[in-house]
Amino acid sequence: MKRKSFAPVLVLLVVVFFAGIGLAADKPVKIGFAYIMSGPFATYGQFAKQGAELAIDELNAKGGVLGRKVESFFEDTAGKPDVGIRVIRKHVFENGADVVMGLDSSGVASAVAPVMTELKTPLIITHAATPDVTGAKCNRYTFRISLNINQNIAMASAIAADMKAKTWTTAGPDYSFGHQSWEYFQKYLSRKKPGAVFLPQAELAFSPAATTDFSSYITKIMNSKAEGVLISLWGGNLIDFVRQASDMGFFDGKRDILMTLGAATEVLYALKDKMPTGIWVGTRYWFLANDTPVNKAFVEAFHKRYNAYPSYNAHGAYAAVKAYAAAAEKVKSTDKEKIVEGLRGLTLELPVGKITIRPEDHQALTDGAWGLTAADPNYPIRILKPIRRFTGDEITPPVAETGCKMN
Amino acid sequence: MRGGRAGALAAAASAAFLMAAPVFLSTYGILILTEILTMSLFAMSFNLLFGYTGLLSFGQAGIFGAGGYLAVLSLLHGPSSLWSAFAAAFAGSAVLSFVIGWFCVRRDEIYFAILTLGFGMMLFTVAHNWRSVTGGSDGLGGFTLPPLDLFFWQGSLADPRHFYFLVLSVTVLGALLLQRMVDSPFGLMLRSIRENTQRLSFVGADVRAVRLCAFVVAGTLAGVAGVLFALFNRIASPEMLHWSFSGKAVLMTILGGSGVLFGPAVGAAIFYVLEHLITAYTTNWMIFLGAILIVLVLAFPRGVLGSLLFLAARSRGRPRS
Amino acid sequence: MEAFFANLLNGLSWGMLLFLISMGLTTVFGVMGVLNFAHGSLFMLGAYLCLQFVRWTGSFWTGLILGPPLVALLSVLVERFLLRPLYGKDVSLQLLLTFGLMLFLDDGVRLIWGAAYHVVHPPDALAGSVPLLSRSYPLYRLFLVILGPLVGIGLWAFFNFTLWGKLLRAAAMDRQMAEIAGVRVPLLFTAVFAFGAWLAAVGGALAAPHQSVGPAMGERIIIESFIVVVIGGMGSFPGAFVGALVLGLLHSFGTTFFPQLQMALPYMLLAAILLLRPRGLFGTES
Repeated sequence: MKRKSFAPVLVLLVVVFFAGIGLAADKPVKIGFAYIMSGPFATYGQFAKQGAELAIDELNAKGGVLGRKVESFFEDTAGKPDVGIRVIRKHVFENGADVVMGLDSSGVASAVAPVMTELKTPLIITHAATPDVTGAKCNRYTFRISLNINQNIAMASAIAADMKAKTWTTAGPDYSFGHQSWEYFQKYLSRKKPGAVFLPQAELAFSPAATTDFSSYITKIMNSKAEGVLISLWGGNLIDFVRQASDMGFFDGKRDILMTLGAATEVLYALKDKMPTGIWVGTRYWFLANDTPVNKAFVEAFHKRYNAYPSYNAHGAYAAVKAYAAAAEKVKSTDKEKIVEGLRGLTLELPVGKITIRPEDHQALTDGAWGLTAADPNYPIRILKPIRRFTGDEITPPVAETGCKMN
Repeated sequence: MRGGRAGALAAAASAAFLMAAPVFLSTYGILILTEILTMSLFAMSFNLLFGYTGLLSFGQAGIFGAGGYLAVLSLLHGPSSLWSAFAAAFAGSAVLSFVIGWFCVRRDEIYFAILTLGFGMMLFTVAHNWRSVTGGSDGLGGFTLPPLDLFFWQGSLADPRHFYFLVLSVTVLGALLLQRMVDSPFGLMLRSIRENTQRLSFVGADVRAVRLCAFVVAGTLAGVAGVLFALFNRIASPEMLHWSFSGKAVLMTILGGSGVLFGPAVGAAIFYVLEHLITAYTTNWMIFLGAILIVLVLAFPRGVLGSLLFLAARSRGRPRS
Repeated sequence: MEAFFANLLNGLSWGMLLFLISMGLTTVFGVMGVLNFAHGSLFMLGAYLCLQFVRWTGSFWTGLILGPPLVALLSVLVERFLLRPLYGKDVSLQLLLTFGLMLFLDDGVRLIWGAAYHVVHPPDALAGSVPLLSRSYPLYRLFLVILGPLVGIGLWAFFNFTLWGKLLRAAAMDRQMAEIAGVRVPLLFTAVFAFGAWLAAVGGALAAPHQSVGPAMGERIIIESFIVVVIGGMGSFPGAFVGALVLGLLHSFGTTFFPQLQMALPYMLLAAILLLRPRGLFGTES
């Protein structure tokens, strides 16, 4: 009996041994996501998760990345810098992430980006728009796939240059995002239209993040000499602003208006027909901006799965996963240093259009779109009609202007 | 009051655990422990006011954050030295807490709480809005980590284990200082203020001066904790000064027990472990945290460590009675 | 002149909304000595229930009338089972318990209604705007400006002229004396807490057509209503009225004249008043 049983055990051992090797080769690729998953801005984390999961399922259905399954980890930054750094460290040290993606808040992104040089792990930012992370704070490991403030404001100023308004003011959130949006707007518009006048700081309408009553800001703008208004409010603030401004007669056609994130789907879904028509609005990805098969497939798959049109944050996460996969296939490895090389200069077709990640500052050159809000019986929300498209090259400032010194 | 032999044993066990932790804990474990220790120092500083003096401060985070910003400013504009960063934050938060304390110790209870909240939020506004100096809402970072220069040994703050030992040393020093203070006649005075403000003033003590003294010590230690926090995260951010960050210290203190010196430290540990466990399963961790808080307040009003010590004391006391 | 008038109305209408929210807070503190951190969450719950009733019935008024009693009912349970064991104990425990309740409710609404932003429209009768000088002004805001003082006067009359109101004030002044005089104080406390919650929820329902309904709305309002109550004097109705007006006007005129300071202004006012008048504008030394 004993002798007989020896052979099967040996066979079993050999099988287990080779299976072990096979398993090692099939170790999943781990992606760590860090978004706001709790609290008032959790809606952004949810969108991103939807986009990320769609992309990962598509990859896995086609055999994963380099034949390995893709596995995802989601952590909650709560929109706070210290928590953001903690969860990124958790992804790297505890979850064993091969790459980290995400970040909604500019404050979190500004805190996390410098830490990546210590963690030596690639980070692909998909939402936070602060110019610094691909500017003064740029580094070898930090990339951004989504549009940043400069790019979006470059489009805003191109549209503003064609408007009648000569004197401009702003309504924006009273933190870096709002102030930077205004600073770049002044810079870019005065280049395109040397005669443009900008109201002094004390006459602008910056509102703290917790503001729910915008009436005094609206009054301030309506009483000013400004003929044009750049609105960089977003999310819940923008919804409150638009509703209260409508009631106060702000959208009476007497002033030119630009909303830098007015075409965000979460805003359009909340406001529905309360969003005035004929207003220039921008976003970081507009699902009807182009007719490429890639975009059509993405919008269709997304709508089928979640019964909603993809928001820009969903697209950001989707794009980052696809970019990572493309980089890994390009360098035939998931080694972190090699991925960095793979991402640099990567060109790839995404729903938003063809993008290139600029090797000098790691910012994606992404096409953008603005449009006029319009009603359409085929859609439950306002859509953009007509749409004005911009190419990544024309809206991205030259590397010399970003302040990035890559080491 | 202290636990006698069992207490000494527990203290020795935790000391041994903290010393040996870098050997058996993962890097991430070390990072979390570092954060727990930093928050322990912060919460213990808060508890000198709350547990021992009866003053509930919702502005403690303002001074904590100011310490962090001062350290980063010193590193950005001064020498790249850990000790000068500490010195700047130490001096700055001492002066700041003296000024704020001078106003606030005149008020009691809820009014003290609201007044400190007001001052804390003014500091928050400074950090959040003074973009040219503080970097505004994006925070102030971009400094190079100073060398960990201990004269006889050179370490690196970039190494999580070296950083851990720095934080451990500073926190233990702070705790020892607090313990000496609480056990001294001054500590007795603090507690009698908590019990009965009037009686103390009848016997001729200057209640305001005693309170102010406690406020400055607490503020300075909070500022030092802020330095550790800013160095740990490589950035000082306005969130550090917000009232809700003070609320964290309150929460940790009540979780652990405000009547015991190390209560807030135990509370900090419980808070992080709970957060870690809950967030692994759900993004709705606030609902659980809220529920747990409610249960704790009702079932363990003395806090976890406080209740344990109370039970231990009672079970020891029973045979005798 | 026109700018001044618009700012005045902006400040008044925002102030009146603050007043409606702060009244419950100050009542509960005045009678029970409880500073309710979860008051903002009850406000938020009022807004969400209003949203829900609007979805079911299409009418804002059903939300305004039916929502708040449900919130009051919930708060009866809260008072009876959570707060009552803490009376006579350290005030900080009550603060903590209500803080825990706030976390619970703020996250709870997200479980039920999701994290997205919701919009409630004002009722047709109050939608749109009326001409005012050369501009137009939203009717709903004018409605708030008129409603605030009316509700305030109603409550003032209730506390001064009805038996229940007098009992409440008696219990607030001296709990033991009231008990000796035969007042069932525990029942009274439950009623007061429920009443405070009802007021918060009414404030929430009234706020719903004015701002987007989301999980953060309670957190955003609670500190501001604390400031209102403290400035006015805790437990004082006229105090809450004046405090809310001052804060509302500070907001609207501060936006115009001190834009850089607007975030700090309420806190500066708070500190100044607490240092000059320790018990607030209308508070009495205890």
